[in-house]
Amino acid sequence: MRGKHSLFYHILIFIIAQLVWLSLLGIWIYWYVSNYIVFEKVGDQVSPQLVYDVQNALPFILGLILLIGLSFITSLIFRHLNVQLRLTKLYDNFIGNVTHELKSPLFSIQLYLETLKQRDVPAEKRKEFIDMMVKDADRLQSLINTILEISAQETKKLAQDYRVYKAEIMVKELINEACEKFRVTKENLQITGSPSCEIVASRDALKIVFDNLVDNAVKYSTTEAKIAASLICNSKKVTISFIDLGIGINAKEQKKIFNKFYRIYNKEIPNVKGTGLGLYRVKEIIKAHDGKILVYSEGEGRGTTFKIELPTYSSISKRRLKKFLKTE
Amino acid sequence: MMEEYKRSKILLVEDEETLAVGLEYNLVEEGFIVNWAKNGREAVDFFEKGKFDLIILDIMLPYINGFEVAERIRKSDPHIPILMLTAKTESNDKVKGLEKGADDYLTKPFHLQELLLRVKGMLKRKSWYKSASEKQPVYKFGSNQINFESLKCLHNRDEIRLTPQEAMLMKYLVEHIGEIVTRKELLENVWHLNPEVETRTVDIFIARLRKYFEPDPSNPIYFKSIRGAGYSFEVK
Repeated sequence: MRGKHSLFYHILIFIIAQLVWLSLLGIWIYWYVSNYIVFEKVGDQVSPQLVYDVQNALPFILGLILLIGLSFITSLIFRHLNVQLRLTKLYDNFIGNVTHELKSPLFSIQLYLETLKQRDVPAEKRKEFIDMMVKDADRLQSLINTILEISAQETKKLAQDYRVYKAEIMVKELINEACEKFRVTKENLQITGSPSCEIVASRDALKIVFDNLVDNAVKYSTTEAKIAASLICNSKKVTISFIDLGIGINAKEQKKIFNKFYRIYNKEIPNVKGTGLGLYRVKEIIKAHDGKILVYSEGEGRGTTFKIELPTYSSISKRRLKKFLKTE
Repeated sequence: MMEEYKRSKILLVEDEETLAVGLEYNLVEEGFIVNWAKNGREAVDFFEKGKFDLIILDIMLPYINGFEVAERIRKSDPHIPILMLTAKTESNDKVKGLEKGADDYLTKPFHLQELLLRVKGMLKRKSWYKSASEKQPVYKFGSNQINFESLKCLHNRDEIRLTPQEAMLMKYLVEHIGEIVTRKELLENVWHLNPEVETRTVDIFIARLRKYFEPDPSNPIYFKSIRGAGYSFEVK
């Protein structure tokens, strides 16, 4: 509501500014023309030999250029301001989401501590509570990490520990771990393909990638999440297709989902929790691996496919390899 | 005193598993029977199938949010106490929650004791209202008639339906007929809110009752303002 209001004011100020420039322009032309006429008349009377040459028109033209230039600059500033406004709005949203996400686990831990302090909790329950607290602490930690590592620079730092892995083994491990973490049952997970190639990757960074994809699949499904992944390899690249049967993404939003802070809103499942940073990080990580990530969805309600392409070990140039593996 | 609320059935609607498990444990320890719904859809399902004495409702829920759940529940049960929980501190949420039918409100993080006290307070109010309206389900004054069970009222020939909050306030005023009741007292006993919060709420509700029942709302003869003190309900 407030955002709309301020946008309205900005547009109004912009229009007024442009009107001021235009009227100045008008006055300028009017002044020049009337002066010219007076000059001409007076000039004719005083000395008919006087000839007006191009030089007299110069201040007029300069004035015109100046005024047009100024109105052009106002437009530019206005455009820039608009972009900033949109970013600020996204950022406000992000702060709201993050506050909620930070408060919840902390509150839960506080509740358990109060419970343990006030009640005589039997040993078995106590163990369950401690497990819950550990879980909340993990959640807090991963959220804080996400917030701290949002800049591309930080992501690069994170993806430091590059090694050569067998693509099949590592990717399958990571997807399985993520599915376990986000409670996708074995029946709902299917991984096909067994390529024999190797990739150069940072396991910790790729773990974030698959955790995010699985977490999104779970969060954006109206029923139990179903995931199908496939691995294909040729001499140049490994292609990992990650398909979920969630709510899907319409074409307009597909372009935006990798943007920082961008979040999808769907009427079917409102109140999905998150920061709007997950896929942004995913993209940065894949970029750091010299790979590509693409998204396909036939539209809302039809699931989503993420396609990740990573270069194979044998296709990476020696120079790049040195940089990855930090070998001399 | 506490014994009478034991075995009360509470529907806990909370999507954060760790939080819900902790809350459930504490409520069960207090002697309540707790059903836990993980999302808005489950909450509505549970509510339709079971009978509950109180609902603890989170706002940020998957599928159907807390406001909508409250609205749906209110349509079929005008009396059940609803306690809303939220992590947001915006007072907008609070007003919206109360409008949608919540009776009370707690902002996360809250202390365990605070939650338990509120729950007990709400159950106490519910049983007070129930026994009071059973004793005297229909109340008449002037050309008005109020049914505290169905919440249906007659003003002259027009039928009005009170909201539970309006009925609770009306009931309280009827029980204290002829006495001066302060805004603070009303907030504490009818809303169970911290009196420092908003005394204006009381004024808004009194204005509504005047609109329903006074022959001329701008010159009240039943719901009188007592300057510097509060209100007094008088029937001559």
